[in-house]
Amino acid sequence: MVGETLQKLLMTAWLLPLLGFVVEIFFGFWSKNPRHSKAAAWTAVGCIGAGFLCSLTALVMWGTASNAFDDGDAEGWMSQQADINHARHPHHEADSSEGAPPHEHEGADHDAEHHGSSEAGADHILTAVATEDDGGPKLERGQTVYSGTIYTLGVFGSLELTLDYYIDSLTLVMFTMVTLIATCIHLFAIGYMSDELTDEYVDHFAHKADGSHVHRPGRFYRFFAFLSLFCFAMLGLVLAGNIFQVFIFWELVGICSFLLIGFYTERKTASDAANKAFIMNRIGDFGFLIGLMVLWTYFGTFRFGDTMVDNEVVDQGLFSMVHRAEDGNFDRDELTGDVLITGTDGHVLTNEDGSNRQIPYYLLVVVGLGIFAGCVGKSAQFPLQTWLPDAMEGPTPVSALVHSATMVAAGVYLAGRFFPMFVQEVLLTIAYTGCITLFLAATIAMVATDIKKVLAYSTISQLGYMMLGIGVFGWAAGLFHLITHAFFKSLMFLCSGSVIHGCHHEQEMPKMGGLLKKMPITAITMLIGVIAISGLAIPGVIAFSGYHSKDAIVASALAFKNANSAHFLLFFIPLLTAGITAFYMFRLWFYTFWGAPRDQHVHDHAHESPWIMTAPLLILSVFAAFCAVGGDHGYLYLLLTGDEPAHLEAGVTAVGDGITLPAIQDIVDEHTTAGTWALVAAVSGTLIAYILYGTNFVNVEEMKRQLAGVHGFLTNKWHFDELYDALFMRPAHKVAAFCAWFDGAVFDRILHGAAKATVVVSKWDRVFDENVVDGFVNLIASATQSVGTSLKVVQTGRLRQYVMFIVLGVVALFAVMFTTFPG
Amino acid sequence: MFSELLTTLINNTLSKGLWNFSAELCLSGTIVVMLLMRLLSADRLLPTFIVGLIGAAAAGGCSFAQFADLIAANDTVSYSFFGGMLRQDLFSVFFRIFLTLFLILTIALTVLTGIPDNEDAPDFYSLLFGATIGMMLMASANNLLMLFLGVEMASVPSYVMVGFLKGRKASSEASLKYVVYGAGAAGVMLYGISLVAGVLGTGDMAALAEQLRVVAHGTAGLDNPEVLTVALGVMLVMVGLAFKLSLVPFHFWCPDAFEGASAEVAGFLSVASKAGAFGLLVRFCVGLSGVPETADLMTAFGVGLGVIAIVTTTYGNLAAYTQKNLKRLLAYSTIAHAGYMLMAVAAMLVMLNSDQAAGLGKAINYSIGGLLYYLAVYMFMNLGAFAVIALVRNYTFNEDIDSFKGLISQSPALCITMLVCIFSLIGIPPFGGFFAKLMIFASVYQAAQIHWAMYVVLAAGAINTIFSLFYYVRILKAMFLEERPADVKPVPLPAMEGYYVVVLAVMVALLGFLPQLVNGLSSIANEAGHAVLLVIGG
Repeated sequence: MVGETLQKLLMTAWLLPLLGFVVEIFFGFWSKNPRHSKAAAWTAVGCIGAGFLCSLTALVMWGTASNAFDDGDAEGWMSQQADINHARHPHHEADSSEGAPPHEHEGADHDAEHHGSSEAGADHILTAVATEDDGGPKLERGQTVYSGTIYTLGVFGSLELTLDYYIDSLTLVMFTMVTLIATCIHLFAIGYMSDELTDEYVDHFAHKADGSHVHRPGRFYRFFAFLSLFCFAMLGLVLAGNIFQVFIFWELVGICSFLLIGFYTERKTASDAANKAFIMNRIGDFGFLIGLMVLWTYFGTFRFGDTMVDNEVVDQGLFSMVHRAEDGNFDRDELTGDVLITGTDGHVLTNEDGSNRQIPYYLLVVVGLGIFAGCVGKSAQFPLQTWLPDAMEGPTPVSALVHSATMVAAGVYLAGRFFPMFVQEVLLTIAYTGCITLFLAATIAMVATDIKKVLAYSTISQLGYMMLGIGVFGWAAGLFHLITHAFFKSLMFLCSGSVIHGCHHEQEMPKMGGLLKKMPITAITMLIGVIAISGLAIPGVIAFSGYHSKDAIVASALAFKNANSAHFLLFFIPLLTAGITAFYMFRLWFYTFWGAPRDQHVHDHAHESPWIMTAPLLILSVFAAFCAVGGDHGYLYLLLTGDEPAHLEAGVTAVGDGITLPAIQDIVDEHTTAGTWALVAAVSGTLIAYILYGTNFVNVEEMKRQLAGVHGFLTNKWHFDELYDALFMRPAHKVAAFCAWFDGAVFDRILHGAAKATVVVSKWDRVFDENVVDGFVNLIASATQSVGTSLKVVQTGRLRQYVMFIVLGVVALFAVMFTTFPG
Repeated sequence: MFSELLTTLINNTLSKGLWNFSAELCLSGTIVVMLLMRLLSADRLLPTFIVGLIGAAAAGGCSFAQFADLIAANDTVSYSFFGGMLRQDLFSVFFRIFLTLFLILTIALTVLTGIPDNEDAPDFYSLLFGATIGMMLMASANNLLMLFLGVEMASVPSYVMVGFLKGRKASSEASLKYVVYGAGAAGVMLYGISLVAGVLGTGDMAALAEQLRVVAHGTAGLDNPEVLTVALGVMLVMVGLAFKLSLVPFHFWCPDAFEGASAEVAGFLSVASKAGAFGLLVRFCVGLSGVPETADLMTAFGVGLGVIAIVTTTYGNLAAYTQKNLKRLLAYSTIAHAGYMLMAVAAMLVMLNSDQAAGLGKAINYSIGGLLYYLAVYMFMNLGAFAVIALVRNYTFNEDIDSFKGLISQSPALCITMLVCIFSLIGIPPFGGFFAKLMIFASVYQAAQIHWAMYVVLAAGAINTIFSLFYYVRILKAMFLEERPADVKPVPLPAMEGYYVVVLAVMVALLGFLPQLVNGLSSIANEAGHAVLLVIGG
């Protein structure tokens, strides 16, 4: 029952933006005054706002139903989980060896009455909660995953392409986060995009060939149509119950991103950036497709969870097809080392010839790397990170929604969603990718001067943190950071939007300064965001969201380093970068809001934004500050981790000299140490930033000159664009030029020759056709024509003759009959 | 004894007969109502065509109910009622539905074109309904007496309808020719009926073959005088039917009558009257078949019909070449199509009387099914063509091909309808006409496995399809490719009329495009074919 209601609520939240899109994209057709009306915007806000209410209802409902809010005693629920599980599986304990971690995830659960993925099963658990509440061991948290099929797109042989839903804690938290932030950003955009409400918009950044500005009709309603379409796609991606469906919506958010980056399509920079984003993503998607192919070939399904009807599994999902042994590793064939493919009951499935179904281990690595390649593209990880800064060409609300809070986080989300299928090698790749990315982007952010570019690099860096968190087995930490980051980063982007709006589209920080008095709300909310992302806190007194989530990641990394000392960089680089993060974020704040105005012209015209833009800032700043209150005992964390993958609990033991993945308890033990180190780094970064940019002690320009080499290297973004240009673009141009030459010199010549030959043949054919074929046809025609004319003679129109013909006809028939019929 | 017989008769009549006859009764009742309304001047309050439509719809409803009954029954049903005069089976019901549907379409057309005017409407519709009843009787006749009665019941109103345009000399002349010719044919047919019934001692068509076996005493050649007499009688009956079907050489009335009659009447006669006559012909031929002794004779009869079909088709197509008047052209086209349909009957006779008849059951069903499918498609495409002619006539007062020149520039809807109808008449895929023709040719091919002469029929049918191209395409060429002459009155883009013809065109197209419709209709038609063969235990 709960599952059905959840499904309905989320479906509503998902489909409303689609409805909005349809209404808005035809707004020019429906409205008498489409270029001046804000109705389209309010439609979009209404749709996404209603979606937020649905999502929130669903989240609360799920939380209540699964007792996710119940934190248990002071030890924290994580340490308690083992006890709970033992309580919930008493007979497991009886027949399995002592201390065995129960297979908690749905499907892996042997016992029909404990299936978590079905509504019936879920209800059963809930009932159990109710009945055993007063007696016996107390049940705090139930695992509740709901999955099923919404619609079948098509069936091709044994390949069934469906739209499924997969609802667990992650889905619900993502839904609520996306809809909440999207609602705020929609509101903000109404103010920010209001200069599009005109019949003749002058784009000062787009020039015609003669140097004049481009004049075009305003595209207010189109902007909101794209935003709505994006929301639909993003929510679809989160709701998706199979990896192929994820891919569909993956591409759909990609196209929305393309449309929104290139919104000012007359600007060459914007259209180039849109192309770049799209093409870079294609590279990642290529890997994604390879992963999908391998998955389909070996597993024969794309579904995540098991589809249940009346407690019976009708369609088994991927997650239950690989079974983890007690040490956290996949069950493998003893001889070949291939990973065995199991049924829902944990028994190995067999092929038609009786042999075990299995997938070679290296192909499982390929699957993981392939899917992760998609994530690399979407989340702008090294080496595909270069598109995201360019994507800032889009309007600032787009940067806030698509390119910081939601779409780019989809890569992290997918890595989290697909986590149960990842093997250690893949996780290590993810960790190192994240590690490289976070450092690289943070260093560039230190020298960037465009306010949005700083935020863009900061986004890349933070996404790197999330990836790192997932890679070092801090699943919850990575996704926790995803949520908190979404709030404070969208907040900061909106603040930067407010600044840009207030400064009349000035984005260069060296021209700002001292805006604190001019735009107090923006400045203060921005400061909240900056503190949050920097991870500053007074431990035990107050801590903003970023502190908790970054702390969790660093703790996971430290635990990982302790277990695998060779990978110490995975701990030290994030720690160092935590300092850099604080530095560049405070640099940004000081640069923009502090000190004396650097450009009097800009400063004089600067003004605080209207309430429709500042209200979202205030809302978001509350969430940026307090959404993670309580850390890993807080509501957000508990909600998020309600359905975390089962093997996180006990970690994964190394096979041979491979990677050991830390258990949850190991991470918890490192929390205090890691928190302290991270705080020290953040405070140092903040201090340096204050000294350099908040005071006049140090001449920054002089420092720049001193470190010109490094500075140039960083401002040129580590020369990645030049590198890719030399590596791929120029060779591609060379090959293309050769192809063009070959086409013109060889193919065209052949084609022209063939065409000439055809003409000659056709001429002969025509002669033949006109004389022989037509002659024959005309002969028939004229022959029949003449017969027809002669037949006319009989039809005289004289009645007497007609009656005579009856008699003649009868007589003639008689004659024929007598002569021909058998006697 | 007698009272028992009487009771049975009454019981049968009340329980089955009246219900089976309900469609005809509805139509009869409508005629009475229409005439009474005229008497009471009530037709000023309620237009007669509405009464007519209601009556026709009621008849259609009754027919559909019967259809549903028959389909719901597990076995294929066939039984006679009204003392053996009429026969109830899916075949009869198919024709009832077909004819009532066609009646409704014709009424709708007359309303749109305004012929007849309010004054004449009760007369006209009474005649139309009367003729329809006659055709229904023809399709369900089970007795030679009903055969004659049905033909006359259908013919007499038709004579009047042809001459309905009272003011026109051509119309009256056409009517007179039709009457005299019809009377002559009826006389010949009546003579034939008396010969057959006299020798065989029964009028029951279902029993004809059995009686023939008894009379023939084992020698069923023409040298047996009784058989010879029957053969002559059958031949003479055939003359009567050939008149109704306008088969060569008894077709002379057809072009003159069609030219004289209004296009609406011509359209009605070309389809409905032919349909009824084919129903009758099938029943008559089936009644004579199925006896091994006369198998050779009947096969020869079938081949003879095939030859007549060849002659008719070829004659119709060739004679259509030089026609300038469109109705006259379509009259010849009608003759040609009667020839195509006759091929199905010929194929049926050949197969039914072969020694492999038992194994050919399905194929024989298909031959009749093909005929019925052809009729169904023919209804839409021919009515569509005649409707376009009638609509254009209302603006140009002319029915020559010249008046159609360049029509595409003025009313594309009419032209596209005409295009679809003509393509279907030619038999170009994927329109309905193609499938209808294909089904008939397929049966002829099946029959050709039994008698070689049917190959000739098949070849002639195929060649004639090509012949027909020339004159049909001439109409299209005039409509689409030629300039509209300045002196021809313009035809405005029609509104309601346009929808009407477009619906017909869509039906023609759907009967080809839509596999469900094609399969559904043809399977019902095959079922009906199966039903009609039950008489001889086929």
